[in-house]
Parts: sequence; C-alpha cells; structure tokens
Amino acid sequence: MTAIRFRLNDIDHAEDVAPRLSLADLLRERHNLTATHLGCEHGVCGACTVLVDGMPARACLMLAAACDDRQIHSLEGLRDDPIIAALRDSFHRRHAVQCGFCTPGMLISARDLIQRGRAGSEAEIRAGLSGNLCRCTGYTNIVSAIAEAAQSVGAQGKTS
Amino acid sequence: MSAADGTTGSGIGASLLRREDARHLDGRGEFVPDIRMPGTREIAFLRSPHAHARIRSIAAPPGSKGRVFTAADLPRIKPIRVVTQAAGAKSPPWPPLATDKVRYVGEAIAVCVAPTRGEAEDLANSIEVDYEVLEAAVDAPLVWRGSRHLIHESWGDNLYLERTIEGGDIEAAARAAEVTVTREYRMNRQSGAPLEGRAVLAYRDHRLDEVVVYASTQTPHTVRVALGEILDIEQRRIRVVAPDVGGGFGPKARLYPEEIILAALALELDHPVRWVEDRTEHLLTCAHTRDHHYKVTAYADRQGKVLGVDCEIIVDAGAYGLWPQGPYQEANMAGRTLPGPYTIPNYRARTYTVATNKTPLGPYRGVGRPGACFAIERTIDEVARAVGRDPVEVRIENMIPAGAMPYTSIAGMRYDTGDYPASVRLCAELLDMPAIRARQKQGEADGRLVGIGFASFTEQTAHGAAEFASRGASIIPGFESCTARILPDGSLVLMVGIQSHGQGLETTLSQIACHELGIDPSHISVRHGDTESTAFGFGTFASRSMVMSGGAVARASRMLRDKLCRIGAHLLQCDPAEARCEGGAVHGPQGSVTIAEIAKVAHLRMDGLPPGVDPLLDMTATYEPQISTGVFSYATHGAIVMVDPETGFIELIDFAVAEDCGTMVNPMIVEGQIRGGVVQGIGTALYEEIPYDAQGQPLAVTFADYLMPGAAELPAIKIGHMHTPASATEYGMKGMGEGGAVAPPAAIANAVRDALAAIGAEINETPLTPARVLAAIKKVQQAAKA
Repeated sequence: MTAIRFRLNDIDHAEDVAPRLSLADLLRERHNLTATHLGCEHGVCGACTVLVDGMPARACLMLAAACDDRQIHSLEGLRDDPIIAALRDSFHRRHAVQCGFCTPGMLISARDLIQRGRAGSEAEIRAGLSGNLCRCTGYTNIVSAIAEAAQSVGAQGKTS
Repeated sequence: MSAADGTTGSGIGASLLRREDARHLDGRGEFVPDIRMPGTREIAFLRSPHAHARIRSIAAPPGSKGRVFTAADLPRIKPIRVVTQAAGAKSPPWPPLATDKVRYVGEAIAVCVAPTRGEAEDLANSIEVDYEVLEAAVDAPLVWRGSRHLIHESWGDNLYLERTIEGGDIEAAARAAEVTVTREYRMNRQSGAPLEGRAVLAYRDHRLDEVVVYASTQTPHTVRVALGEILDIEQRRIRVVAPDVGGGFGPKARLYPEEIILAALALELDHPVRWVEDRTEHLLTCAHTRDHHYKVTAYADRQGKVLGVDCEIIVDAGAYGLWPQGPYQEANMAGRTLPGPYTIPNYRARTYTVATNKTPLGPYRGVGRPGACFAIERTIDEVARAVGRDPVEVRIENMIPAGAMPYTSIAGMRYDTGDYPASVRLCAELLDMPAIRARQKQGEADGRLVGIGFASFTEQTAHGAAEFASRGASIIPGFESCTARILPDGSLVLMVGIQSHGQGLETTLSQIACHELGIDPSHISVRHGDTESTAFGFGTFASRSMVMSGGAVARASRMLRDKLCRIGAHLLQCDPAEARCEGGAVHGPQGSVTIAEIAKVAHLRMDGLPPGVDPLLDMTATYEPQISTGVFSYATHGAIVMVDPETGFIELIDFAVAEDCGTMVNPMIVEGQIRGGVVQGIGTALYEEIPYDAQGQPLAVTFADYLMPGAAELPAIKIGHMHTPASATEYGMKGMGEGGAVAPPAAIANAVRDALAAIGAEINETPLTPARVLAAIKKVQQAAKA
C-alpha cells in the first residue's frame, strides 16, 4: 500500500492505495464518481479523461499512487465551470449526444481545447479530438457544438 | 422542451431536443458498471488461449473452492442451443463454460470470484489447464467441406447451412449476355465495438424471490426467456434490467454465456457478482461481424443493362451460433438483398454459412447488407466501365422506376414505396459531380488522384412475422408492446418493451403520445429496458423500434384518448361523439375539462365516472405493421476521395447521403442516426479489421491495433432528404437506424476505383488499407510489364 494525499474535486483526501490501483478505479470504485467512464482501459478511447493539475489525463493509464500531491477534477467537480456549462448547452442543442458513454471525456477534452484557444476552426477541433472516440454520432455535431461553445465563451470573455 | 430547428411543436416532425441528454451531460448516466450493490464481488474469466483444443484437465489452485467455478461446478447451466426450422441447418450445443473442447480464442473455461477484478484475474491466471492443441480451421472458403479439422466432429463437415436463392433463368441470361463481368469481393471480419463493452451485475432479491440481472443488452425480455430455459427457473423469478447502455449496434442483441453464468452464480452465492468486460475481452468474445466472401458474375447487354447476376456467398460464422437467431441470418440477408434496388430479371445466389475456429458472428448495424451492397455496387460500376459508360447513368438505368412500386425483387423482397433513381441524382447534386469531373481533368499539384463513387441500397426495416417465419426462426420478433398509463395528476408514463441506447426513443416515443393525446413531452415519462415495469417486447434491433414501438405507443395512446373522451363527455354532459381530445384537455360543444381533471375522477373520485366505465387510465397495446415483410428505406451514398498512389493513403474529402425513410418523427435524430451509421461504414471501408493468423489467433485485440474512425479522419457528412411515406405503418414511418452503415464501403471503393481508373487498379476487399491500395497498383503494373 502507498499513502497518498490528493485534492479531488476541490476536497482534500489522504488514502492508502494498492500499487496497481488506477486513478479511474480510485474515482469510480472508492469515491463513486461514475462520470469517468472506461471504454478501453489502455489509453486510446478517451472516455476516462479527467484533469490532473488542470491538464487532461487518461484516468485508466494513471496509477492512483502517482496522484500524490496532485489536484484531480472529474466531470462531477466541473459542474459549475462556465466552459463546461457552455458545452453542455451546445451539446444538447446540437444533438452531440447519443448513448452518452463518451460524453464526459468529450466535454473535458473540449473544455481544454477551448481554454487553450485551440477550437478556432473545424479542422483544429477535429485534430484536437483525436484522443476521444465516439461510436455513435459520427462527430459532426460534436465538432459544431464545440465550435459554438468556443464562440459563446469567447464572446462572454470579451463583454465581461 | 425546445426544438433544434427553432419550431415550437413537440409532436411528429419536430426536431425536439432530447430528454436523455441532461443526465449524460451532467455525468449522471447510469450504466451497469455505475450501479452499486453492497457486498458485490468481481468476476474474471479464464479464457482459452487456443483456437482449437481438447481440454484434458482443469486444475484450480488449492483452497479456491467457492471462488473458482468450472462447468462441472455449475451443473444447473445447460448448453445454449439455437432452435431453427431452416431445412438442413445444423445447430451445435454451446456450453457457456467449455467442457471437453474449446473452439475459439477467448472461449470461457472457468469463472473466478474475488473482491477486486485484479484479484479475480490473479485467480484465473493460477488455474492450470492441460490442453491437447488441435489444428484450427480458419479460412472459411477452404474449410467448409473436405477439411480434416472438424469444429463439431459429428457433422462430418464445417457447414452450418447451405441455401440457394434463385429466380428467373440464370443460364439464359448467360447465353444472352454481350458483356460478362466477374469479380471476387471480401468484407473482412470486424467488431461492432460500442464504446461501452458488455457488463453484467447479478444478485438475488430474497424479498421478491427473484434473481435480478442488470445487463448491457438491447433485448432484456428475450434474455429473460433464455435465462429461464437454460437455468430451468420460472421467468417470474427473473428480472432483467438494461439501464443506460453505452451503444449496442447489434452485438448486444444476443444472449451471451456471461449473462447465464453470472445469473447462475447469483443463485449459488450469497452476494452480488459483477462482470465488466474489458476491451480485449470485447474484441475476443463479443459477437464479431461481416467476414463475407463473394464471387459475382454479372451478365449484361452492350448498354450495361444487367440481364442476370450469379453469385456465391460464403459467410465465416465462427464456432457457434448466438441465441436466438443462430449464425444463419448473415448469408440469408446478403443473398436476398444483393439484387439491391435493381430490376435484375435472372438471379442465383448460392450461400454457405461456414463454421470456423473463430469468435461467433452476430448482428451489427446493416446485417448482411453492407457486404451485399459492396458486391453488387462494385459490380454495377464494373459493368459500366466494361461498356464504357458512366456508372451513375448505368446505375439509374438498371434501377426499379418509381412507377413500378410496390416491386418484388428477383430475390423475393417486397419493396413498398420510393423513387430510387431520384436518390442517385440528388446525391450526385450534393457532391457537385461536374465540378469533380473538371477537377480530375486538371489533375492535382501534389500528384494525388481524385475519385468520386456512389452506392445505392434498400434497407429492409421493421420486418416481422412473415420475414422471420420465412427464415425458419423459432423466435419471431413480430410485434412490440406499450402500456400507456395516466396517473392521478394527469401525467403520463409510457412503458415499452424495447430498449433505447442512443436512439433517443425516450424523446421520440413521447412525441408520438403528444401527437395523439396533446400531452406535452415534458409531462411524459418513458420506461424501457426493464422486464419488471414493461410488457413483453423483443428489444431494439433490425431498425424496428420507431415503427413497432412507436406504433404500439400510438395505439395505446388512442385507446386512452377514447376513454378520456368518454369520461370527459360525461363530465361535460355532452355526447362522447361530440368530445375531442386536444391540447391536454377534452373539449365538448360548451366547455372543456383537462386530462388532469379526468385523471382525478378516474382514480380518486370514481363517483364522477359514467355508468359502465371502469376506473383507471391504463391501456396496453401491441402493434405490428400491416405488412410484416418489412418497409424499405433506401439511399444513395456518394464519396469523394484523394488517393496517393505513392503511399496508398486514402483521404476522404467529402461524403453525401440522399435518403428516404418515409415520415420522420424527429429529423434531428434521423440525421444523427445517419451520420453515426455512415462513420461506422467508413470504419468498415477504411480501418476496422480483426485478422487471424493460421493458428486461429486474432491479431487485433486492443484499440491500439483495432482502428476506429476518429474526428480527425472525417469530413462533415452532407444529407439530402426525400419523403415517401410507407403505406403499411403508423404515420408512414419507416425504420432507418442501420442504413448509414450499409453503403460507405461500396461508395468509397467505387470512388477509389474512379481515382485509379487511369492506372486500372481496383480494390475489392475491405478495409481499403494503404497496403491493399499499393498491392492493387503493383499488381496492375506487374501485369503490364509481363
């Protein structure tokens, strides 16, 4: 067992974790944070994308033991985030959700693209989504929803 | 609730935004692995590493009794057995845990129980199995007869079913032909690969004296039927729930060994058990798909008019047949849909469904049609090239004209309504075909080659009793059910036997009830996927749920409407014939009463009921379309590609769909289904493949080697709609869930053929990988040298 201290969705925790426990299982099985989905468990599909110290990371590939002294945000911890709010709205209005399994990871990756100013064109958004698979939508509506959210966040940023 | 297109209506035809979205966008969807039951233990399976082997012995580690179970430890479990009435069909028993023999890599041998999945896997790794490894039968065209390697020894061959479908006189067509085109095609083995794999959670509910099975399935009711038969317990003591399901696409519309084994363990053990399939297990053991081989000969006249098609279709169906429909439907569907939207007068298809040492083949979006479409649409293009004409013109000239509808194809499919040639013209317009032809003449600065290709198809949907009876099926999914219940406050619950896993049926079924009753969808709940709360139904597959479940909702809603009008008329003191139900109220000549007021009377104040009318507003209806051979959607897909002859790399630069699915309940959702299907079809065309080596080892068992299309590889997909309502369904609806996946392989291969026309190369095997493109070019160049 390894003792770790970490900040999860803005709350501090100290826990003992087995060496092979993944961050995804730490979130899902210990903390019941089931927005983080497991689609492949080998780092390709992106459904388990979370933020570690503000950067997108694969929760399936990262070991819990490597999370000592880190800040983790899953989708549950981003419910009040303004970019996530804009994305939820545009994903709904543009029918960018079908089965919903890829959705939390998509939202977190999309938030990162918008925050880094990498959602300026369709081609840029498509390239930026190369780490997130969706099997249902064909991506068209996800791409346009991200473009719309990027615009609305940008517009708000200018007016405020 | 609001609509995507800015309209305010909520009934049929409105692009109503989905009521399913909120929970998923908030991270509150509830998939099987998200369900928490105290005391749950995790399951891991020991699976065969060999494609074909006898099991001499299985030795579990000392002290593992009660944590490791083999077939011998679970005698309650009987083999899975598909019953079929198809003449000459063979149906092998399939023990959910292997007994004397394993027949594909991944077949379950033992099941292990532990507090965590990791510990359960450790336990599985500590079991010793003594195998006598046998040679594997891997290549279907070579092993179906005369093979020394028999998968099911008692058969004497490796053939599930041989069937010939024919009409007209193919020999006469051969004699009359001025042009003969022969090609071989192959659509390789792949996975359905929903983003959520399968999962099962099973436990005993002692209060209700039942076993509860949560499963990521498209068909909870029929899974319950099977569990009852195989475990020999009454179905009243089994509840199957499919909660949120992270994509299905067909593979989850079958019964699996894991569902049986988990239910059996729940009956044995004193705690819940959970199995969550990982991606490697999915690619090894969830139903595979396609794996079709075709040899097609077309006979035509000098104008390219097709006089006859003669074909041989071999389907590599793997080691067992999945319950309930077995391995037979792929070859059947391929043979019967290969004539496509054409007036082919003479036809013969010899079909062979072959057993191999591979994962069992199951349904996947399109079922049989993508391979058949690939074969006929590539062939139509080659006929056009053989007579020196444009494939678009030849395609249209061979098509069934709108005036000939309804039309029974040479393979016996009854196409109901539509204008097939118009879909080709519309698709060519969407892609601005003259501009592409001009661009081809100019050439590209970077040396790449541009090509445009089309493919058309018909899509049998919502087929019922007549269709499945003709296949010899023992379970005939000919209807769907709905219980429509108005509660004392006037809100409505629709309980339906289907399962929605991305199709948005919680939204669209409420639109139908809104259309009939005037109750806004925001006051309607849709319950599905649970044997406890819904009447029996078959589930969601075969592009059937909108037509069949929607039809059942329409009927149950109208039954409620009649009763609302009778009670409402009594309250309004008018004749029931004068009362009409509209906008959430019953209106008489001199006033109106709301559904909420009527609901209160029907439940809480029965003194207000008219004489002879019973309390409650609760109606159950079933529905099957008036024609049970199916209603046919159709489409033409078009692709524009850039092919690099140096690297073999194909870039898809544009894609268009011109389609007709009759009346659209929710156009936004229809377009979402089309685009999603098209991208799966692009996956088949360009990326997805599970190759096997000569020993029967699968070579793509992770997403690192099984490639799926991502956003970066794809163009936006254009859609043009046509609207020819069906005459045999409610509102003129047709199913359309699968069509998107049918034509992309054919359209893209035709576009690549067009791009490589000057070189003379063609690629007749999916996926069209760079290696295959280069090999095709090299083959032509070598032939030219020789």
